[in-house]
Amino acid sequence: MAEQILQDLQLFYPELALTATFLVAILADLIFRRTSVVVSGIVMIGFVVTAVLVLGQSDLHASIFSNMIAVDPFAHFFKLVIIISAILIVVFSLGSAELNSPNRKLGEYYALLAALTLGMMLMAGASNLLMMYLAIELSSISSYILSGYTKEAPDSSEASLKYVIYGALSSGLMLYGISIIYGLTGSLDIYTINQVLAEGDISGVALLIAGVLTLAGFGYKISAVPFHFWTPDVYEGAPITITAFLSVASKAGGFALMIRFFKVTFIDSSVVTLPEGAWATFEGFEWYHIIAAMSVLTMTLGNLVAIWQNNLKRLLAYSSIAHAGYMLMGVVVLNNQGLAAILIYFVVYLFMNLGAFYVVMLVANKTGSEDIEDYKGLGARAPFITVALAVFFISLTGLPPTAGFIGKLYLFAALLNSGWVWLAVVGALNSVISLYYYVRVFRNMYLRPADQPGPPLVFGKLQTAIVLVLLIPTILLGLYFTPLVQLAQASVKIFGTP
Amino acid sequence: MELFDVVFYVFAFITVVSAFIVVFSRNIIYAAFSLLFTFFGVAGLYVLLNADFLAVTQILIYVGGILVLLLFGVMLTSNVINVDIKTGTIQTVPALVLVAIVAGSLSGLFYSTWKDVSAPETSVVTTTPALGKMLMTTYLLPFEIASVVLLVALIGATFIARRST
Repeated sequence: MAEQILQDLQLFYPELALTATFLVAILADLIFRRTSVVVSGIVMIGFVVTAVLVLGQSDLHASIFSNMIAVDPFAHFFKLVIIISAILIVVFSLGSAELNSPNRKLGEYYALLAALTLGMMLMAGASNLLMMYLAIELSSISSYILSGYTKEAPDSSEASLKYVIYGALSSGLMLYGISIIYGLTGSLDIYTINQVLAEGDISGVALLIAGVLTLAGFGYKISAVPFHFWTPDVYEGAPITITAFLSVASKAGGFALMIRFFKVTFIDSSVVTLPEGAWATFEGFEWYHIIAAMSVLTMTLGNLVAIWQNNLKRLLAYSSIAHAGYMLMGVVVLNNQGLAAILIYFVVYLFMNLGAFYVVMLVANKTGSEDIEDYKGLGARAPFITVALAVFFISLTGLPPTAGFIGKLYLFAALLNSGWVWLAVVGALNSVISLYYYVRVFRNMYLRPADQPGPPLVFGKLQTAIVLVLLIPTILLGLYFTPLVQLAQASVKIFGTP
Repeated sequence: MELFDVVFYVFAFITVVSAFIVVFSRNIIYAAFSLLFTFFGVAGLYVLLNADFLAVTQILIYVGGILVLLLFGVMLTSNVINVDIKTGTIQTVPALVLVAIVAGSLSGLFYSTWKDVSAPETSVVTTTPALGKMLMTTYLLPFEIASVVLLVALIGATFIARRST
């Protein structure tokens, strides 16, 4: 056993590096009490080391620590998305005026960022219900604290408290579901649960109830309707860096967890009469109908409510709910094509969504406002970043020639190939609705004069460079996407499934 | 009715009645104290289910730790002892519908599965050594990650409680 654990540890280096980063950051914060730049440096180095270690793990198929964590191409892909966004978030945080106000100590902020990233990475690989729960809790508890980090802002504490209450409720529901699954199958290991289900003695209704309860935990992480209530308030109240991180990486972790759970647990591998890359669920466990309904509700509600929002952070919160709905469509089709489409969408979403949040943060740094009315006349005052924001929004809508178009194209293609025409139509209609509220921002930036003309906003070279780092992939991936598609198609392999 | 059944019903009665008092009592101190009996009753049920380690942990952590902390919290908070807690009922109809759905589906669940439950073939003497071994082998990773979770929670609690400078 001891040798086995030592062997498994070798496949666990990225997570170990993150844990070490977390602990060293806490110690460094105690020693260098006054200069939080030391801690941020340590966390940055830790994240870069982790990213290198993750890159070294490509094309592994293993299950470590008695099937607690799977190390497979699927987890690898999500870990990359998570660690890249974590690095970007550290860069954002260094330039955020909201966070770097005098008298604020940022030691714990960076340390908890490492813990949050660790939780999300564990979510990407967890293959045991106990491990899944712990990974969700680790990332949730860290995000509760981080979203309330700017304590003097009243809506920040409110955001944190709301997050805790909704989080506790959905954790409770999820634990209840897990306990029923354990009672029915006698195991927490998703591979064993799959075998027990294959024997076919389990009551479908009982498992459905347990599955829906468990879905509450996943749905909360990806902010899918009806578990989305915390999202707008938390996204508005939290520091914008944390909002951006939650909207991308936390969703990535949640999606990885949910897809792995459903694909390993409910897939009947004895059915052989299927086309290449498709799966079949056990009879009586047609859970994809529930996910299809959730997907429609999520994108429609997200887009319709976003129309009425005047705060850009809140608008982006609803837009991120809608994007979770689009990505859920890829789960419904039950084949590798849909899965690959989700992976492609996540990479695209990483750049365009972080880009939009970063520009909103830059403008808020200068003007102190995230209100859509204060974007009037901004096109003349800050030409470069408003053009960048426009590109990110065009990409979020899904129009060519941006990366967002490619993301949506692959999702809709997967739907149409599997005969889910009505769902594709709903998705397309939703994209049209989303165009409306993005255009509202364009109109204010370019067509409406400012109430009080202000001086031009000048941004530093570094800030411009960061915008470019996010802007170039958003355009480039819309024109040349073959490598991304190949990577995604190679990354759909989940350990323990055919 | 065997002795086992009698003991079970005694513990079940203690648990349910004290749980009702926790929910319906208007005095927060009474509620906290009857929580003591709820925990105690649950611990008794664990013993009957051969879960000796769980029973001891229940008493040590819930009664010894969490409940004492709760009482300290209540007593150290000024003006809480004499204040009636707001226990008004709002949103009665949606709550009733929701409760009916949840209660219905859960009782349906237990009714449809209870016949599959069977007693273990060999009687379990003690579970603690086996649990200890499993925590250090099969469940090593969750055990270690739980410590990271606790550390994060601890840092978060001190951060939130700290007075802003």
